[in-house]
Amino acid sequence: MENNQRLKLKVYTSLSFPLSSLPRQTPISSPFSHFSPVQYKRVPLGFAKMASSVVDLPPKGGFSFDLCRRNEMLEKKGLKSPTFLKTGTTIVGLVFQDGVILGADTRATEGPIVADKNCEKIHYMAPNIYCCGAGTAADTEAVTDMVSSQLQLHRYHTGRESRVVTALTFLKKHLFNYQGHVSAALVLGGVDITGPHLHTIYPHGSTDTLPFATMGSGSLAAMSVFESKYKESLSRDEGIKIVVEAICAGIFNDLGSGSNVDVCVITKGHKEYLRNHLLPNPRTYVNPKGFTFPKKTEVLLTKITPLKEKVEVIEGDAMEE
Amino acid sequence: MKLDTTGLESLPTLIAPQNDVVGDLSAAPSFDLPNSNDFDGFVKEAIQMVKPAKGTTTLAFIFKEGVMVAADSRASMGGYISSQSVKKIIEINPYMLGTMAGGAADCQFWHRNLGIKCRLHELANKRRISVTGASKLLANILYSYRGMGLSVGTMIAGWDETGPGLYYVDSEGGRLKGTRFSVGSGSPYAYGVLDNGYRYDLSVEEAAELARRAIYHATFRDGASGGVASVYYVGPNGWKKLSGDDVGELHYHYYPVTPSTVEQEMVEATGA
Amino acid sequence: MTKKHANWSPYDNNGGSCVAIAGADYCVIAADTRMSTGYNILTRDYSKISQLADKAVMASSGFQADVKALQKALSAKHLIYQHQHNKQMSCPAMAQLLSNTLYYKRFFPYYAFNVLGGLDNEGKGCVFTYDAVGSYERVGYSAQGSGSTLIIPFLDNQLKSPSPLLLPAKDAVTPLSETEAIDLVKTVFASATERDIYTGDKVEIVILNASGMRREYMELRKD
Repeated sequence: MENNQRLKLKVYTSLSFPLSSLPRQTPISSPFSHFSPVQYKRVPLGFAKMASSVVDLPPKGGFSFDLCRRNEMLEKKGLKSPTFLKTGTTIVGLVFQDGVILGADTRATEGPIVADKNCEKIHYMAPNIYCCGAGTAADTEAVTDMVSSQLQLHRYHTGRESRVVTALTFLKKHLFNYQGHVSAALVLGGVDITGPHLHTIYPHGSTDTLPFATMGSGSLAAMSVFESKYKESLSRDEGIKIVVEAICAGIFNDLGSGSNVDVCVITKGHKEYLRNHLLPNPRTYVNPKGFTFPKKTEVLLTKITPLKEKVEVIEGDAMEE
Repeated sequence: MKLDTTGLESLPTLIAPQNDVVGDLSAAPSFDLPNSNDFDGFVKEAIQMVKPAKGTTTLAFIFKEGVMVAADSRASMGGYISSQSVKKIIEINPYMLGTMAGGAADCQFWHRNLGIKCRLHELANKRRISVTGASKLLANILYSYRGMGLSVGTMIAGWDETGPGLYYVDSEGGRLKGTRFSVGSGSPYAYGVLDNGYRYDLSVEEAAELARRAIYHATFRDGASGGVASVYYVGPNGWKKLSGDDVGELHYHYYPVTPSTVEQEMVEATGA
Repeated sequence: MTKKHANWSPYDNNGGSCVAIAGADYCVIAADTRMSTGYNILTRDYSKISQLADKAVMASSGFQADVKALQKALSAKHLIYQHQHNKQMSCPAMAQLLSNTLYYKRFFPYYAFNVLGGLDNEGKGCVFTYDAVGSYERVGYSAQGSGSTLIIPFLDNQLKSPSPLLLPAKDAVTPLSETEAIDLVKTVFASATERDIYTGDKVEIVILNASGMRREYMELRKD
């Protein structure tokens, strides 16, 4: 266990600058990007070692834009691109007197179809920081997971609680590097040594710092609630009430959002993840009699044929070790 | 912008169409056209949006006793099977049949239109229309719409004063007289069976079996064909439906499940 | 000629699902009442069902403007029919009128997906299902619209009857009683609403039988 940790640290320090591992190079191809930042390959390595080792370093994983030009050409010729799971979403956050409250709906859609009726859109970043994600589900999950582990490493390195701005910087650097191709729109909230913070991060990497924020396809519906009801120094219960109301506005007025309300309350040294805090959409009708399926699987044969081994094992010398 | 179709009218309009609401409704039927400067592109896109049914196997052939006509019954929209019970053999009159392949609405509408025309011909001339005449009526209509995106591939089969008749007509303006045709996405498979088993001196039973077999084998290989294989026979006394079989059941009829030959001895399962 | 706009379409999709089931002596026609565009709900209470004749009821989804135009054209034609023949149009006649009306817009189609339900001349339930350019077929049950791909497999499982093309013919009557059919329709809409974002709010159910017509409503999820 300890050995493992030391090994981790070793890799860490060999890069001399721990955070520079962010823009990775190579294999997994991103099918929908439109440009190819070849120069990226040199950026992080400049910190790492001498110039001679640049070519020799093995790929470290991450995105490659090698196929972007090809895909662009194919799309022009009429290739239909595969669809992604999108969380057409309502996500919100607000600052109240003792901290931050985040909220999200739980619907994930794939075109007009609801792919997941109860998904989790409030992601863990650090014990004192959570992040709501809207956009392509895979992107929001991947980017929050990546940054979450970077924060963990950073805490090992510094031995201090993560700050919200650190998470913010990681996220915006990553998103900016990928020029909007990582389609994640985020609401980041947390409480650290410097107090409560709430930020929004757009897919291209720009950020806002706000007392209350909304994102996703239901953001306008939710914002209408915040704009009319938000005030400074709300109590915890008032805050939750407004967040729930904002999410419900998204759930009921935006077709991309739906199902239940998740809430996360973060205060100094404490957090409360209220999964499915409200379930405003129960199924409206269940047939009291249930259903019968008249045709069952027909029995075609009741005989059992024991198969005799055809391969005979001949005793012989044991294989040499 | 409207396309003048008064030529298609079954009766000359007695009252001149007026330029008011009722006049518009009682006017000669005509086709609304979009106000687009890219008509082809528009129609193509519009039809793409509403996705007509395609994918079919139909066949017909002349033999000693008359004409045999057969078809499957599946309608699909891309990968989706929109119906398994389409009537692809249209009964134009008691002596004439038409088959449908291509756009479902195009086929249905123009066959209905042809049926009206054939009946009017009968009333006007006191005799049934010939297969040649009927097929030419349809071919002329389709030719007048050439290039506008209709999709019809049909066979007109029947018995008239000259004996059995069979014509192939399509929306590109083609009209062919022949003794053996198959139309639709499954036609290559059907031709395979049909050409192999065809003789002029088949009996009615043999011919019906050949037609059914050809349709079955086409549905087996062509995903856009399936459902029920219907077989019609047109003889001197008019048409008659000979059979309608679910191709799923035909499969087990042609290829019965035989208990696989087991080399080892069978043991009766206990308790079964 | 109209000016060409690069990204303009004369059509929109306002979503919604329609279902019809024919029984031995009744017919159930149902549709949800949500009307939407993109991710927005335009109204939660818009009826997609229109009564075209005493024994012919049409449910339509697709583009509301086209649906409305189609309904008005049909009711005008039906009015003329009544003046000319002094009777109500039968359901099979209305079915063919609808087909022709759709086909006359073959080159500029109505963006409307219809099911027509009613009672035929013998008083038996009948359902006709259409594509947008007028191809139609008499069936035992049908579903159209945004939720149809979710509904049809379930109805197939519960109601599928032998093909009418079979020879020798097999009995092909939907084995359901009227109340069972209504229950089925309710279930089907509750289920479609769970997974289709364009279906919801309320389902309007119209029941036609020998004693006339009646309407029922049931609430659906509103998210």
